Amino acid sequence: MSAGLAGNIAHQAVIAAVPLVLAGVGELVAERAGVIDVGIEGLMLTGCITAYAVAAMTGSGVAGLAAAAGTSAALAGIFAVATIKARVDQIVAGMAINLIAFGASGTVWQVLQTRHDGLYAQLPDSAGFQPLLFGQYGLAYATAALAALAWWMLRGTRAGLIVRALGDAPEACAASGIGVVQWRIACVIAAGACAGAAGAYLSIMRVHAFEPGMTGGSGFLVLALVIFGRWSVPGLIGGCLFFGMLVSVQQHLQSAGQNSRFPYQLFQALPYVTALLALALLSRSAPGPARLGEPWPQRR
Amino acid sequence: MADPGSVLPVTVPAPSAEQRGPARWRDPAVALLAVAVAVVLLLIGLAIAGYAPTDVASTWLSGALGSGVRRALSLQEAGPLLMTGLAVAIAFRAGALNIGGEGQFLLGSVAMIACGTAFRIPGPAWFATIVALTAGALAGAAWAGLAWALERWRGVPLVLSTILLNFIAVYAVSLLVHGVLQDPLTVAPQTAEIPEGMRLPVLATGSKLHLGVAFAAALAVALWLVFERTVFGFELGVVGMNPSAARLAGMPVARRRFEAMLLSGGVAGLGGAFQQAGVTYYMSDSSASYGYAGVAVALLGRLHPLGVAAAAVFFGMLDTGSRNLERVMDVPHDLGDVAKGLAVLAVLVAAAVFFRQARVEAS
Amino acid sequence: MIRLEGIGKSFASARALDDVTVEFAASSVHGLLGENGAGKSTLMNVLFGLLRADTGSIVIDGKPARIASPADARAHGIGMVHQHFTLVPTLSVVDNLALAAQAGLGQVPRPAWRARLRALAEPLGWRIDPDVRCGELAVGEQQRVEIVKALAVGGRALILDEPTAVLTPSEALELFSALRGLTARGTAVVFISHKLAEVEAICDRVTILRRGRVVHAGPLAGLTRERMTELMVGAPVETVRKPPTRLAGEMVVEARALTVAGRGVEAAVGDATFMVRAGEIVGVAGVEGNGQRELVRALLGLERPRTGELMVAGAALHRGEVPDRARLGIIPDDRRHEALVLPLSVTRNLLLGEHRRKPFAIAGWLRFSRWRARAAELAGAYDVRAASLGQPVSSLSGGNQQKVVVARELHGGPRLVVAVNPTRGLDIGATAFVMSRLVQARELGAAVLLVHSDLDELLGIADRVLVMCAGRLVDSGWPVAGRDAVARLMMSVDASTHAATGEPAHG
Repeated sequence: MSAGLAGNIAHQAVIAAVPLVLAGVGELVAERAGVIDVGIEGLMLTGCITAYAVAAMTGSGVAGLAAAAGTSAALAGIFAVATIKARVDQIVAGMAINLIAFGASGTVWQVLQTRHDGLYAQLPDSAGFQPLLFGQYGLAYATAALAALAWWMLRGTRAGLIVRALGDAPEACAASGIGVVQWRIACVIAAGACAGAAGAYLSIMRVHAFEPGMTGGSGFLVLALVIFGRWSVPGLIGGCLFFGMLVSVQQHLQSAGQNSRFPYQLFQALPYVTALLALALLSRSAPGPARLGEPWPQRR
Repeated sequence: MADPGSVLPVTVPAPSAEQRGPARWRDPAVALLAVAVAVVLLLIGLAIAGYAPTDVASTWLSGALGSGVRRALSLQEAGPLLMTGLAVAIAFRAGALNIGGEGQFLLGSVAMIACGTAFRIPGPAWFATIVALTAGALAGAAWAGLAWALERWRGVPLVLSTILLNFIAVYAVSLLVHGVLQDPLTVAPQTAEIPEGMRLPVLATGSKLHLGVAFAAALAVALWLVFERTVFGFELGVVGMNPSAARLAGMPVARRRFEAMLLSGGVAGLGGAFQQAGVTYYMSDSSASYGYAGVAVALLGRLHPLGVAAAAVFFGMLDTGSRNLERVMDVPHDLGDVAKGLAVLAVLVAAAVFFRQARVEAS
Repeated sequence: MIRLEGIGKSFASARALDDVTVEFAASSVHGLLGENGAGKSTLMNVLFGLLRADTGSIVIDGKPARIASPADARAHGIGMVHQHFTLVPTLSVVDNLALAAQAGLGQVPRPAWRARLRALAEPLGWRIDPDVRCGELAVGEQQRVEIVKALAVGGRALILDEPTAVLTPSEALELFSALRGLTARGTAVVFISHKLAEVEAICDRVTILRRGRVVHAGPLAGLTRERMTELMVGAPVETVRKPPTRLAGEMVVEARALTVAGRGVEAAVGDATFMVRAGEIVGVAGVEGNGQRELVRALLGLERPRTGELMVAGAALHRGEVPDRARLGIIPDDRRHEALVLPLSVTRNLLLGEHRRKPFAIAGWLRFSRWRARAAELAGAYDVRAASLGQPVSSLSGGNQQKVVVARELHGGPRLVVAVNPTRGLDIGATAFVMSRLVQARELGAAVLLVHSDLDELLGIADRVLVMCAGRLVDSGWPVAGRDAVARLMMSVDASTHAATGEPAHG
């Protein structure tokens, strides 16, 4: 394998890993705070369509990115209030959020295609982002910075201690006058913003287009990767890069073997098979936040 | 972890037949109210977007129920949703978060198609149909059993394993449809059709409302009896609500959960086989997502088999009605999915707010 | 001086506090007594800002104070140690301190907090490793961290909610001497308890609450135990009288050299040999977390012993099967999570375990008319008070929930009864009921194994007492040996390792 090819694969791996890390850091913080958000797939998809629609209409990619983060954060807010205040089961509510997001994104996409003479069915050049440095988008660097920030916050600040306590012993927070409900809602909304931005990365940066269901399970993959990384930021990044590498190799082989009759579905399934195997090998030894998924306060 | 199933406990309290008088009707009443609120919200949203709510409602209703054929089409659409919804209800009752209905449904479908096209099953056509349907149920059960095994022995949470297995199933089907099962007479990635003799009888002309839908309805009633009146159903519920107490009461917790998963996967797989034998007759590599919708149907029906049936019919009506909306008023039919999601969320929130089991005290 | 004036507080169902006025003076230990539900914890949660009072006010050093949250309480230098600890087990001691007491959200200056920890703990004679995770500390050490955490906010007042429940007698004595050290430096200590001996040992003044009202306030001197009990309960209470021990019958439980694995490398139960015969109550005393849980799990077939032999009712046990459930009564430690299915009705909970037997089920079909008849019969016999037996068991009071468990487990005349802390969280009346039913089961010929952390209740009805300490099971010699001998055994190993020396345990 030539150096150029290896570099190319690594480059593609980072491109594939960025949205996973971005959404993953948010999910990780939410889970450390005790809330599992299975709706992250839907939140990412919401980010995809919002970024695309806003960028196409305003011609501004930045506006699209901001709108994506904002909309997904709002949707995450609904999830947060339903689960944390109204105590709806987190997994179940997350699935409902996925359903809403799939339907809403499809609706908006159809409207974009059929109304306004299909004017917004194409992303204008001005609205797509161009790579900033070394062929990576600015958001990739922002993601790296965000991950570093989250790592430092969880380790070294009182805010991080609070987040960790929320997931492991919320009664410790309550006894110190820290509002468990408010903090958890804030963490979930922040995670929603991250997922929305990750969606924007997919639609207006990586692909420059939207297609229904384009997240293709990335959100679910993120859930697995957070466990895989044992709820630590470096572990998550390692896992994401590993998966990015798998995807990158798959793409490379797929394009190289275009003319042969090699079944590309095997490669497409590879990340999911690997995720499953990784969970099977690691899940046992990764206990995770003690109170993940439990409502607060506990019923007496 | 002593009990892998309790990693992420479901807290959907299943309704009980023991409730008498007004309490017995409170659960469905609250659910209906919540659905009504969701529909009104959606209509308000459409009004803001410039569609007259009355027009939308009447177009939608006439699309869903306007004629005998329309009604049959709504029921036809409800059929697979009822199967996947019941599948989820069985598993959730036992506390097994089987989100894998999609994959189980797909494998059931593929088993039916394989039996109908690639294999030659000896004997009369009705026998081949029964063999193929059984194969569909077994395929779904096996896929669910795999997820159960991963949880039991490797501690992989069911939520995650079943979701990942869904994706793997999608690509497996794609592989087969592009490969060994591809119809040799076309270049398109699709299978051949199953022979006429293996197709399920149609119950209403102008639609493909088939015998499998009637079976699904009967299954809902049967499951209702099983849940409420049998030792097995009672133990399933107790295992789901409190596995520790179930074990101390001498119930075989792991076995009940295993049985629930197999039954759940089997019902989902059978649903897929029904859909192929009754409606589509062949497969391409696109999916109608009945498995995911089944989770919503089950939750909307509050895990009660009859509630699930009502929810499935409602979803079927949403599908046919919103297609009519698209045709007549140019409203995207994906809006039906938004309505589903909103309805589910509304029911969940309403249930959580109305059925607080115990008052929460701060001290 | 802290003064709570005319405090009233109602919850939806009941009046928890009614015009309560109390004063806590600096440099003294103030006992707050009362039964469960008398309002002690509610009152202290008001003072600590966890609950808002409906009426009344708080005055600190003559000035009215507004305490709406624990943060306000901390600003006034008031710290509280809850009955259930509020440490984060996955965080270090220093991080727990910072979580509770640091202002703002910024970086945690860990060296400064280490110094602070030392400054607070040393005058009390404690050395606490600042960097060990709290989950790895022994219970007594966790309590020290809790106290330091509470003092870190100023040290004007320290509220202790039933602090000795988790301690060995020797640890309790050490706690008392530390509290004396605190009052010497001006702190007002509020000591919530219902153990009269401890109140006598440490308190200067006492306030007694009953049903949300102050029924007595004044110096400790001159109050007898009998008088205190009467004030708490409202009427003299009959204690459970145990009929004299008869000759014990056949062997029901026989364990030889039993070793059960724990969470870590060390065995939770080491080399235990004991037996329980029909017609006797064998008590297992000990501070919680010394292997009792694992011992019971092995006995119930939930955990396979690592080595040794275990025979229950003449059959060797295998993992995963509950031994002959029909003749076994189990009253588990945590009734809400291990004994009851909360969303289900009282009837269904009463029939749990018996549900598949004739006539309650025939050929796999449930016969609810039989269920209802049996449930009504049991509820009557065991005094379960519920508006309807069809209501969810979660809506019952703790005492009635436990009666449901006791009724279900004891009514069939079991050969073996295993009860773990069966009176936890119950009031005096329900406690007496549960204890008398255990005695009755013994009279009917059952072998009773009672694992209980309340030593006095245990000694009240046990025929023999084994003591569990650090996984070892020793026969205490009770009743020939006295209460003090049992108490000494409870702390035998603990005392030799860390509790007595004050050395932190490194995990």
